[in-house]
Amino acid sequence: MYRYDAVDRAVLADRTAEFRDQVERRLSGELTEDQFKPLRLMNGLYLQLHAYMLRVAVPYGSLNPVQMRALADIARRFDRGYGHFTTRTNIQFNWVRLADAPDILDALAAVDLHAIQTSGNCIRNVTADPYAGAAADELEDPRVWCEAIRQWSSLHPEFSFLPRKFKIAVTASPHDRTAAKVHDIGLLLRRGRDGETGFEVIVGGGMGRTPHVGPTIKAYLPSDRLFSYLEAILRVYNRHGRRDNIYKARIKILVSALGAEAFAREVEAEWERIGTDGDLPRAEVDRIRSAFTTPDLGGAPSSGDFEARRAAEPAFARFVRNNLKAHLRPGYGIVDISLKGIGETPGDISADQMEVVADLAERFGQGDIRATHEQNLVLPHVRLEHVHEVWKGLAAVGLATPNINLISDIIACPGLDYCALANARAICVAQDIARRFEAPDRAEAIGELKIKISGCINACGHHHVGHIGILGVDKKGEEFYQLTLGGSGAEDAAVGKMLGPALPIDRVTDAVEAIVEAYLRERTGGERFLDTLRRTGDAPFREAVYADAH
Amino acid sequence: MKALTANRLSDGEVVFWKDGAWVERLAEAGLFDEDGPAASAEAAARGQPTLVIDPYLIDLVDSSGFWAPVSYRERIRALGPTNHELHGKQAEGGGAVEALRQAHGAARSSGRVNLIRRK
Repeated sequence: MYRYDAVDRAVLADRTAEFRDQVERRLSGELTEDQFKPLRLMNGLYLQLHAYMLRVAVPYGSLNPVQMRALADIARRFDRGYGHFTTRTNIQFNWVRLADAPDILDALAAVDLHAIQTSGNCIRNVTADPYAGAAADELEDPRVWCEAIRQWSSLHPEFSFLPRKFKIAVTASPHDRTAAKVHDIGLLLRRGRDGETGFEVIVGGGMGRTPHVGPTIKAYLPSDRLFSYLEAILRVYNRHGRRDNIYKARIKILVSALGAEAFAREVEAEWERIGTDGDLPRAEVDRIRSAFTTPDLGGAPSSGDFEARRAAEPAFARFVRNNLKAHLRPGYGIVDISLKGIGETPGDISADQMEVVADLAERFGQGDIRATHEQNLVLPHVRLEHVHEVWKGLAAVGLATPNINLISDIIACPGLDYCALANARAICVAQDIARRFEAPDRAEAIGELKIKISGCINACGHHHVGHIGILGVDKKGEEFYQLTLGGSGAEDAAVGKMLGPALPIDRVTDAVEAIVEAYLRERTGGERFLDTLRRTGDAPFREAVYADAH
Repeated sequence: MKALTANRLSDGEVVFWKDGAWVERLAEAGLFDEDGPAASAEAAARGQPTLVIDPYLIDLVDSSGFWAPVSYRERIRALGPTNHELHGKQAEGGGAVEALRQAHGAARSSGRVNLIRRK
């Protein structure tokens, strides 16, 4: 993991002191709300329905146990004993007092964390594969590039006031766990014909009110030219992006308006002008890379009694089937920790649970914790002989729900329960669906099915790329929900298609169940929900949901 | 019937206007049955920028003998998040909270409309 140096720490200390002064001036009336609002947002502090919310950046989703314990401490001292992991792999605290915010930032800075660039029209937290450095199908560790992008983009003077916010994802596996194609820039690490590594560059993906799967504008960019090329993309966007209309200001609108080829030509011309001066020296890349060496996993480990326990304990076997993934090293596994306990709030984690995760990571997980954009956590390096103990530790605090990628592993934004912009609630819809499909045998029989729920068209709950997407809408002041089918945030990225008229809240779970039953009737062989839908089209599902409306 | 609401500057708490000051419970809020006094109170509230942020008027309906916001969003503001019943004002329980939970009515929140307009 990358560790801050003295300069990084000095920058954070200065920034917190500056914000403390700004808060004092706001409370005294020296600053108006209009003057203060952009300053607090630059430090991740939003005003929500019930209180201030602080969004803390978790750089490319990586945390160490010390940081996780610090988050637990903040949750207890300054919030109501919990935090909320988001689809940006950040963590939010929902009940923050304005006067406490500088103290929280100090507590974060003490463990090399902050809330800078978690809001505003700047380059936000980079999304990385949560299995980075551990995935069996990985080309190389993408976090090296995520960290380099973090350093390059932090407080970047040219890119701090873009037309709109800007999100980058980096993945190095053929299976995309970052939703790269619906980011402003998606970087897919590839091996070139010369044996070197480079990136397929995708630009102009996004969700919100105009969802786009981003087109590839460069099939192969040598990795040592990454930063000049990023600079060229951002410069073209800064120059031509729509600043006159907030709803047309994202880069996806520019790429769509110009066409991907014309946009790429603009970028190439700008890239030519920038030349190699915009690139990161190899020595600097190597310095960053040295922070991401594979942990010392020791010699060939024994799997101990892993197989025997798996055979003897059905509940453990279920956890292994759903929450344990292949590691690049024999004898190790990647443990997914579901933050989707049945009936719980997706992404929420209590301070006690944070501390248990920190302890388990320290004892059994090489001190490495990841947050996923699907609002779960990961211990990426666990010896198979320790998985049973990890499972028991998680189960003791309600974190061993064996539902990764199953129907109750639902993404939901905070929605109208917290968010000032939301039209409708999302959390209670997720809770109700999870309860309906609580029976684990039934959930496993259904198989991979990703439900994603947003409380408004801003799509923080990624509904556009849900296999079943659910969007809360406001119909004359009442909560209604629009269903979409067929979305995907993976390598087969797609935007879901609207199924029919929006439904009242008390019909949503029944509609989801009708869709599931239609799928089970229609599927053949080992088809996933998406496979069946793509083969049959949405007619059987529309009929199932709206049959009684005819 | 109307009430005047805002978020308190110091902690973001949802508050309601009562005789020139701010209270945390809707049941204790001052009520306006005429537009003139309501607008005057809103103007006065805008003159308290070190106490509250973005004051605005909300419409109320009768619910089991208590006044409740017509807008669902405003009922959630007056209660707290529905996923954590021990968080927010609803934790106190009692007749006023129950009346808010049982209230019906649908209308867009002027608070949200103002927020979107300012974006």
